[in-house]
Amino acid sequence: MTMELFVVFLASSVRLAIPLLFAATGEYVSERAGIVNMSVEGMMLTGAFGGALGTAMTGSPYFGLLFAVVFVLPIALLQSVLTNTLRANQVVTGIGINILVLGLTTLGYRQFFGNRSREMITGFNAWSPPFLGDLPVIGPIFHQAGLAYLAVAIIITLAWFMSRTGAGVALRAAGEDPHAVAISGVPVIALRHGAVLFTGLMAALGGAFLSIAEIHTFTEGMTRGAGYLAIVAVIFGNWRIWRIVLACLLFGAATALQFQLPAIGVQLPNALLIMMPYLLALLAVAGLVGRQIAPRALAQPFWK
Amino acid sequence: MDQGTAVQGVSAPAGNTEPQPLLTLSGVGKRFGEFSALADIDISFKSHEAHCLLGENGAGKSTLCNLVFGIHQPTSGAMQLEGASYAPANPRDAMRHGVAMVHQHFSLINELPVIDNLLIGKKFGRLNRKAEAEKLMALATEFGLELAPFDVVGDLSVGQRQRVEIVKCLMQRPRLLILDEPTAVLLPEEINSLLDVCSRVAESGCAVVMVTHKLAEIARVADRVTVLRGGRAVARSAEPSNDMDMLVRAMISRDGEAGANHNFGVSALPPRDPTPHRGPRPEAMQIDNLSFVDEIGVKRLDSVTLTIAEGEIVGIAGVEGNGQSELGSILAGLARATSGRWFAAGREMTAAKPRQITAAGVGVIPEDRHLVASIGQLSLADNLQLGRMQGFARYGLIDRKRQREEARTLMQRFDVRAPDSQSAFSTLSGGNQQKAVLARELTTPNLRFLLAAHPTRGLDIGAIEAVYTFIRQAADQNTGVLLISSELDELLAVADRIVVFYRGRIIGERSAKSDNRDDIGSLMSGKTP
Amino acid sequence: MTDIPHQSPGIPSEAYRDILGRIAIPIIAVVAAFLVGLVAVMAMGVSLDRAVSAFINGAFGSAYSISASLNRSVSLALVGIGFVIAARAGLTNVGGEGQIAMGGMIATALCLAPGMAELPFGLSFIVPLLGGAIAGGVWGAIAGFLKVRAGANEVITTLLLSFIAIWLLYWSVQSENLLRQPMTSSATLPESLSIPASTQVPLLTGSYASPVTWGLPLTIVIAIAAAIILSRSVFGFNLKAIGFNPVAAARAGIAVGAGVVTALFVAGALGGLAGALMLQGEQYSLKAGFSSNYGFDGLVVGLLARNSITGVIAGALLFGFMRSGGISMEMMASVPSALVGVIQGLIVVSIAGAAYFLDRRSLR
Repeated sequence: MTMELFVVFLASSVRLAIPLLFAATGEYVSERAGIVNMSVEGMMLTGAFGGALGTAMTGSPYFGLLFAVVFVLPIALLQSVLTNTLRANQVVTGIGINILVLGLTTLGYRQFFGNRSREMITGFNAWSPPFLGDLPVIGPIFHQAGLAYLAVAIIITLAWFMSRTGAGVALRAAGEDPHAVAISGVPVIALRHGAVLFTGLMAALGGAFLSIAEIHTFTEGMTRGAGYLAIVAVIFGNWRIWRIVLACLLFGAATALQFQLPAIGVQLPNALLIMMPYLLALLAVAGLVGRQIAPRALAQPFWK
Repeated sequence: MDQGTAVQGVSAPAGNTEPQPLLTLSGVGKRFGEFSALADIDISFKSHEAHCLLGENGAGKSTLCNLVFGIHQPTSGAMQLEGASYAPANPRDAMRHGVAMVHQHFSLINELPVIDNLLIGKKFGRLNRKAEAEKLMALATEFGLELAPFDVVGDLSVGQRQRVEIVKCLMQRPRLLILDEPTAVLLPEEINSLLDVCSRVAESGCAVVMVTHKLAEIARVADRVTVLRGGRAVARSAEPSNDMDMLVRAMISRDGEAGANHNFGVSALPPRDPTPHRGPRPEAMQIDNLSFVDEIGVKRLDSVTLTIAEGEIVGIAGVEGNGQSELGSILAGLARATSGRWFAAGREMTAAKPRQITAAGVGVIPEDRHLVASIGQLSLADNLQLGRMQGFARYGLIDRKRQREEARTLMQRFDVRAPDSQSAFSTLSGGNQQKAVLARELTTPNLRFLLAAHPTRGLDIGAIEAVYTFIRQAADQNTGVLLISSELDELLAVADRIVVFYRGRIIGERSAKSDNRDDIGSLMSGKTP
Repeated sequence: MTDIPHQSPGIPSEAYRDILGRIAIPIIAVVAAFLVGLVAVMAMGVSLDRAVSAFINGAFGSAYSISASLNRSVSLALVGIGFVIAARAGLTNVGGEGQIAMGGMIATALCLAPGMAELPFGLSFIVPLLGGAIAGGVWGAIAGFLKVRAGANEVITTLLLSFIAIWLLYWSVQSENLLRQPMTSSATLPESLSIPASTQVPLLTGSYASPVTWGLPLTIVIAIAAAIILSRSVFGFNLKAIGFNPVAAARAGIAVGAGVVTALFVAGALGGLAGALMLQGEQYSLKAGFSSNYGFDGLVVGLLARNSITGVIAGALLFGFMRSGGISMEMMASVPSALVGVIQGLIVVSIAGAAYFLDRRSLR
């Protein structure tokens, strides 16, 4: 592989990783607080739909983002009320929401886009940061949509928040032993509501990135398991934020390889590459790659 | 129980120099469904005082604390804090009113360092851990507590964790500090320093409420004592050191025999033949140089060697946390020794699974009745036959009629009282649950050896007597018994000889005579003669 | 306080709660969700009459449509029964989708294997069915093994295994070395050859006008057997003990590890059987997207049944007929079948949420 091709590969790896980065860091917060949102998939799909619709209606991708967030919030709220207030089974509500959202977005898509489905919507322009973008050889890697840099900013802030603030500590503690945290006077349920809503916000951005910045249109069920892949990234990342970021980049690279390998004449089944993340995560939880430590209270409803 | 009606503090005469009560409970009661845990409690707690709540297990001490701390809400009566109505909806509410509580089960997050644990719920913004740690160290030192703020809680000993828990409470500068059986998990030397801390906290102007069932602690620290029994306040004293006899008598129900031996139930046992060994007997169980290192690398059991003959009852004494639980887990087949071997009736069991251990004729009364010995959601009959269903099966299907008949037989033989063999196990009283567990384990086919870990913990007198009787009967029929208990009186009364555990080792052995009581006591605190 | 007896509600209130929980809430949820669906149809400006009659036609309108619905229900019921069996041991099997895929894939391979079509006594279709079931079972048992050996949460592992199976299947129909039919032109679809007639599961009536297969009676037998095993057998009792309290079960001598692996094997095998039946009784050739969400729908059916086999059957029938009705609605009344998804999603979400009002009292 030439250096040039390699840089293209790296750039597309990063680009393909961005929706995952949003969704996975969002899901990371929920899971550290003790909640699994299978509905990340549905939230992303809603975000993709809202993003496409908003952009198509207003012509501005920024309004698209706004629509994405506004559309996802009720979905996230539904998930949050079901799991935190009603203590429903987290797996079943997540899957139920995914079924619901797939139906709703498909209906909405037929209703609003109808035959215009092939029309492209305005996207974000890619942007190169000063200095980094001008670097020789590797400069193109930094030529990304502005949302990518938003993701970086959010992740850095989040890492700081989780380790260096009292709220972050309380949130992590709520995923280990919510009863102890409640006794310390922390409103666990409110904290968990907040975590799920944050997941919704991030999933909305990730989904919107897919439709606005990546595909430039909406198609039925277009996330195709990206939300589940985000959950897989959290697992493979062992519930640690920087490892999750690495996992997302790795998964992005696996996807990018599909397009790169034929170019350099390597024949490898696509399916094998797509399967990689799941296989790696399975090996990780099986204890073959380091030791996975999930939050102790993960997926357990909190009853006072 | 006339003492119980004499309410103090509520309407203290004017001009009295005694401090005014901080918190007053009037006619407070608490029911859980049909069960009355607490009734008609009148009590008041004063600043600058250490107030001990004395009582046996199940007397309602913990419930009382939970009401004051807002974990439960009273079903009758009212509370007043400095004259204003006080009805905390939850612990947070209670803490806002200046009430703090050190629970029996610590509310610490094992995965986080001490400092993070202390700051949870106090600070939500940016943490300056170094500066906070210095402040906390100062606070801890003020009350004579040691603190290592950057250690992860999961790596600390129980005593150290308790200190963190106490600092966590003191951080809020509480007006009322509740400690629920704080000494149950501590070593003797740790107990004294804890009691000192209590005194210091009270001196600082706080009202201290301490739950205990140990008289020595009361004599040392209490300014005032209230005795609970069966959910009622049955006695109180403002001069506990002088009223010891009265307090003991109040704590146990039968007035006459109380003074001499407060460990009721034991005294009712007939004396056992003090010389059971006539000639050599075959071994029921043998432990050979057994060691156990836990997952964080602490050596919990250190080269333990012990042999129990058929028909012999050997007691293990020791403050909790000195390796008894680990030994119990290994003998039950729930943990595997790191090194060493053990045998039941001559067969090696070192790597055996619970099923194989049971098949070798070993009965096990685990220390945790709810988590290990039974399944609360299943019926009494199912629990009596747990793991033995195959015996009632034809073509893989259970013959429910036969199973029920067999269950009824066992219920009669072991005096398990329940409305029906189909009653949910969790609805039975603790005593009947334990008798059911005994019924199952003592009917283990070819029983040769019985492990009984804290078999009477939390039971009432009647059930305690029954448990002792059943264990004695088993020994009389040539079963070797290993009895683990934290109650020395229990061991002295039931066992033939007593080995003392200290830091995972057998530190000494004495025959179970009450003359040896002080000797064994000092062995328990690690002092070898 | 160790010995506060749990409150024991009287028989009447318990029975009342049971009726409310098992019957009333699902019915209310289903009716309400359908009402929402009707409103949505009106909002789309489609004649209500047309949409409803298309739906009913598609679900019950003819022998053919009833048969098609029943075949769908069979797949959902099998996955649902498997879910309930695993749930009895306290395990959540999220892997139905992958277990179906493995079943379908192995069944295809066996059906197309040389000599299979010539086997006598119906073995030509029975062997692939069994092979599919075993393949699904192994896929489930892997999760059980990982749980016992490495303590890996089965929700996570079954989900991961699902995706792996789905992409294995995708691979198998993309590669000529595996199951893809020989490429004769660039238009050759990425799917397997059609399986020989003798390996297809026979139709109950023998007529393609009502193509309900022998899978239906087989499923009924399996459902009855499952109900008996769960309620009366030693195996069922042991699973229950493991589910409630694995530590106490182990101490009492029940083989917990073997129980966990077996439960997930059985759950997976039923999923694999569903996959094999879908292939040999309905689709006849393997394509990408073969499992088409039956795994997730079956999981939902199992979960909503709240541990009752009868509930699974009811839910499977409901969802099976809804799928058929939805497809017909799309074709005949141009109402997107996605509406059925919305209705299903609403049912799932509302029943799952309503569980709170049932569980709250038993937990307190």
